[in-house]
Amino acid sequence: MATIEFKGKEFDVDEDGFITDYKQWNQEWVEYVKEQEGIDELTDEHHLVVKVLQEYYEKNGIAPMVRVLSKLTKMKLKHIYELFPSGPGKGACKMAGLPKPTGCV
Amino acid sequence: MAFISSGYDPKEPMKNRITDIGPKKFDEFYPPVIAKNKGKWLYHEILEPGILVHVAEGGDEVYTVRCGGARIMTTSLIREICEIAEKHCDGYLRFTTRNNIEFMVDDKSKVDALKKDLAGRKFAGGSFKFPIGGTGAGITNIVHTQGWIHCHTPATDASGTVKATMDEVFSDFQNMRLPAPLRISMACCLNMCGAVHCSDIAILGYHRKPPMLDHEYLDKLCEIPLAIAACPTGAIKPTKVDLPSGETVKSVAVNNERCMFCGNCYTMCPSLPLADKDGDGIVLMAGGKVSNRISEPKFSKVVVAFLPNEVPRWPQMTDTIKKMIEAYAADAKKYERLGEWAERIGWERFFEKCELPFTHHLIDDFRDPAYYTWRQSTQFKF
Repeated sequence: MATIEFKGKEFDVDEDGFITDYKQWNQEWVEYVKEQEGIDELTDEHHLVVKVLQEYYEKNGIAPMVRVLSKLTKMKLKHIYELFPSGPGKGACKMAGLPKPTGCV
Repeated sequence: MAFISSGYDPKEPMKNRITDIGPKKFDEFYPPVIAKNKGKWLYHEILEPGILVHVAEGGDEVYTVRCGGARIMTTSLIREICEIAEKHCDGYLRFTTRNNIEFMVDDKSKVDALKKDLAGRKFAGGSFKFPIGGTGAGITNIVHTQGWIHCHTPATDASGTVKATMDEVFSDFQNMRLPAPLRISMACCLNMCGAVHCSDIAILGYHRKPPMLDHEYLDKLCEIPLAIAACPTGAIKPTKVDLPSGETVKSVAVNNERCMFCGNCYTMCPSLPLADKDGDGIVLMAGGKVSNRISEPKFSKVVVAFLPNEVPRWPQMTDTIKKMIEAYAADAKKYERLGEWAERIGWERFFEKCELPFTHHLIDDFRDPAYYTWRQSTQFKF
């Protein structure tokens, strides 16, 4: 596990760049992931996806299924990929500070 | 080595990005004789173990030489395969669904030179690089998985067990003396990637201890409901745990009495590791098949509940497999697959002929369908 520093904040991350503790999440982390993931500019839509993911995670303890995320944000999967080129798992969940997706991925 | 760019610009990852182009179309790589006669094949023959001839309507012939591959290969070995293909087959070759390599030539006169070339190539350690065989009623390549080379959930190794087994049954790779083809497959955990659930003989990695719980990190690294839902026996439930530091965290509790060590929860949650040097080992299954020939496809059934991991040659495992193959070869009728043979003579005779002990582990106890695997009949042999 490594610790990175960004704009005066410290984050514990794993080798794939996910934060290892959801409690460490803050706005600086979003900025940091934005650079890592090659996102030009954070729009309201990015923030909406992050907010939906976090609300769902806090309420249910899991990340939403892709269809649920699509329905809650009213965005098609294609549009989510336009916002997060790495996709909802590696891009959006990382930015939202959720645990790394598991299973046969 | 210093960084050498491919032209990709990390500052603009979406610029000049090519996606969704799929694989190359297969017919770009057809040897001319295959392209010409596609869909016009009349019949084929197995000339000798590992060598086939297909004859087309117009009289064209294509000779195929099949040789074993280790599946995990270096680029140097791939280059050597290409070199052989350049030399004998105008640069064409193919891989089979069991990861053998097939070289094709369009004339009988070219077969001998190719055969001699392949048979003469050996590694420094002495093993054949390209053993010819794998056709007809013999034993062809073993479909296997990643094992300790690359995966994080295995209970045994894949390439190691496969090499040990293929060494033991090598004569049957280069022979066609069995009643029917015998497929051996290997999977290093019971995710069963590959074909173990439908093979004549299957090697399967198996755990015997419940997962260890890393309470400190569990809630941070895992989505707890997923770990709970991953359990086929309902052995996992959510709980709160007091850490030595005095902090109370969310975690899970595992009912060890209900756990059957499948490892699904570890797949979903990195804080539940269960690999264990002495606990882990191998289960052998037998009697599966996928073809519809004569009898319908069958699942393979567990016949040996546990054999230890004996690195690096797994002697008990290879001995048991050999015993099953010899009993089958001696007793089954022509065209009879191992599963068909076992069902005809009855499984009690199968265990007797293969000299395998029958233990309570082999009796199905998973949910309602277990009942159908018990014997509701007076038909049995003493």
